[in-house]
Amino acid sequence: MAAKKLRRAQLSQEMCERLSRYQITTCQDFLCLSLLELMKVTGQSYYEVQKLLCKVSRACAPKMQTAYEMKLRKSVNPSSAFLSTTLHSLDRVLHGGVPCGSLTEITSPPGCGKTQFCIMLSVLATLPVSMGGLDGAVIYIDTESAFSAERLIEIAANRFPAYYDSDEKLLCMTRSIHLYRELTCCSVLKRIMSLEEEIILKKVKLVIIDSVASVVRKEFDTKLQGNLAERSNFLTRGASVLKYLAEEFSIPVILTNQITTALSSGPGVRADLVSPADDLSLSEGSSVSGKRDSAYVTAALGNTWSHSVNTRLILQYHDLPTRQLLVAKSPVAPFSTFFYTIEKSGLVLQGHV
Amino acid sequence: MDHSGRRSADTDGCKWDAGKRRDSVRWCFVLLASLEIGISREEALEALQVVRQECHGDTARTPGGSGATRKCTALELLEEEQTQGFIITFCSALDNILGGGVQLTKITEICGAPGVGKTQLCMQLAVDVQIPECFGGVAGEAVFIDTEGSFMVDRVVDIAAACVQHCHLIAEAQQEEDHGKALETFSLENILSHIYYFRCRDYTELLAQVYLLPEFLSEHSKVRLVVIDGIAFPFRHDFEDLALRTRLLNGLAQQLIITANDHRAAVILTNQMTTRIGQSQSTLVPALGESWGHAATVRLIFHWDNTQRLATLYKSPSQKESTIAYDITVSVPVGRDMPSWVTLSPGKDCTQI
Repeated sequence: MAAKKLRRAQLSQEMCERLSRYQITTCQDFLCLSLLELMKVTGQSYYEVQKLLCKVSRACAPKMQTAYEMKLRKSVNPSSAFLSTTLHSLDRVLHGGVPCGSLTEITSPPGCGKTQFCIMLSVLATLPVSMGGLDGAVIYIDTESAFSAERLIEIAANRFPAYYDSDEKLLCMTRSIHLYRELTCCSVLKRIMSLEEEIILKKVKLVIIDSVASVVRKEFDTKLQGNLAERSNFLTRGASVLKYLAEEFSIPVILTNQITTALSSGPGVRADLVSPADDLSLSEGSSVSGKRDSAYVTAALGNTWSHSVNTRLILQYHDLPTRQLLVAKSPVAPFSTFFYTIEKSGLVLQGHV
Repeated sequence: MDHSGRRSADTDGCKWDAGKRRDSVRWCFVLLASLEIGISREEALEALQVVRQECHGDTARTPGGSGATRKCTALELLEEEQTQGFIITFCSALDNILGGGVQLTKITEICGAPGVGKTQLCMQLAVDVQIPECFGGVAGEAVFIDTEGSFMVDRVVDIAAACVQHCHLIAEAQQEEDHGKALETFSLENILSHIYYFRCRDYTELLAQVYLLPEFLSEHSKVRLVVIDGIAFPFRHDFEDLALRTRLLNGLAQQLIITANDHRAAVILTNQMTTRIGQSQSTLVPALGESWGHAATVRLIFHWDNTQRLATLYKSPSQKESTIAYDITVSVPVGRDMPSWVTLSPGKDCTQI
């Protein structure tokens, strides 16, 4: 919308020509100028410039919808609002499952099951709608080379034995999961930018990036000058493109993150604690209050990234083999904890499923 | 006789001057005129005003100029402030520290870490602004400008249903006639139809939308609340030119103040928190820089203390700095048709500092 040419904003031909002499060709260039500058370049009076501003604004302003229209649209297509994770307690708390149209982050220390969760969700996305899936293809951007196709088939065969009763069906499912191996920040960003065409071509219904943290932390050392700002820049750019894709196509986007240990010495670093659920030592119970000023663990990639994701799930160790799943940030769910184990069929919740 | 005769001659003289050199008369100060021509200051002022009226007949009226030069005495302002309603938040502690609720014609900024409840409060206020006057509300409509994509229709449905239920309970308890009439129009469908939602993907769309806001508010004159959820997000990436960013933000703030005043609406902006690296420690501060701090009239900061959510009134022209504790509560639905009651309720200890 910002890059819309002024010609298409119904400005007169001569006005467009005049503006292009000052290198003002898009709506974005026009709206970034102050009134005085606009009067100078257009040669019009104050009131005329106001009218021109309204014209250009109308060309790139978003369309209005009432909340009621949004609700009606959602109720017409209820199943497409969520991707059910088949972990029923989790689905209930999240009001349906992983939400479509927003970014979901899965954070955990190494080995807790992020990639397993992602592989499981890939299978679920390819299932038909009648079984709770999205009946579409999956784009899996793998930066750690951790994806295993054999595990994919194992999970599918064990979780839905009745559905995947023939090799034919399994192969069909694997054909709809598109894997990309990207090993640098630059290539990840390029891939994200090119996703729009792929989503339309291949009828993609789920995008997974596993993991964002590994590429970013390899390349940006936040102790060096200027790297923090560059890193934030890269992350917010990626996040805004992904948000646009998620909303435009109404698909869930899943990103994985790592856990970092922060050594603190006093109240200063408490500032980085964006939410109590992110401080994993807290979730172990109320007896930790004495240990606050030593090391604590938190999600990597910083504060700005935490603002960009809409839902955050944290996985962590409990008593092996049981692990814990926390809903740390969600617009529809309160803080909740679940225990799970990793089986042949993927993640399985303990307790009442 | 002599006096009046001399006066008419001088007025003619002034008019003659005006006919010849309009511009110079405009800059003619009253004192200068009275000294040069030898008439009293009041007479010179009268003469100038006659001339001014003639000059002003030609220039077109400014489109938005009705409220541009408003002046009134402090008494008129006091009367206006006392009869003005507040938008109540249903959390009495929060309303108290704000001095009654969110004030109309002022910009209120809500800063907070991710996941602390900013969007929840905005959605709640979009419903609360519509409460009929007999229940203590302002009976207005709401404009919701979303830049982060965190608006959840289902959540608004829950909040609205709970609000309607709450008003029904009040009406039953108090049994007044106008309560019943008001409740007929205060239904879920009406509430949702009067929340006007705009999704802005980047800062150009946001700028365009704010330029078009006065026109929209003139057409929908019952709007009493404008929410911009995420003023920081579109400005935090892709901006190498920080000077341009400051200028655009200041321009936005100015336009919002004018809009808030002209249409008697409250403007709510939500801001992110960012880490400022100090010498030996890092602190969490509101994003967008120091100069942005001047834009809002009232500033609320939401933060955590262990697991308790706190709200601090950081900047206000009429209330003193204080902190209260609050919770976001959801009652677990028993049956499928019981709505979840979402509210910001005062925390266990309401500490007033």
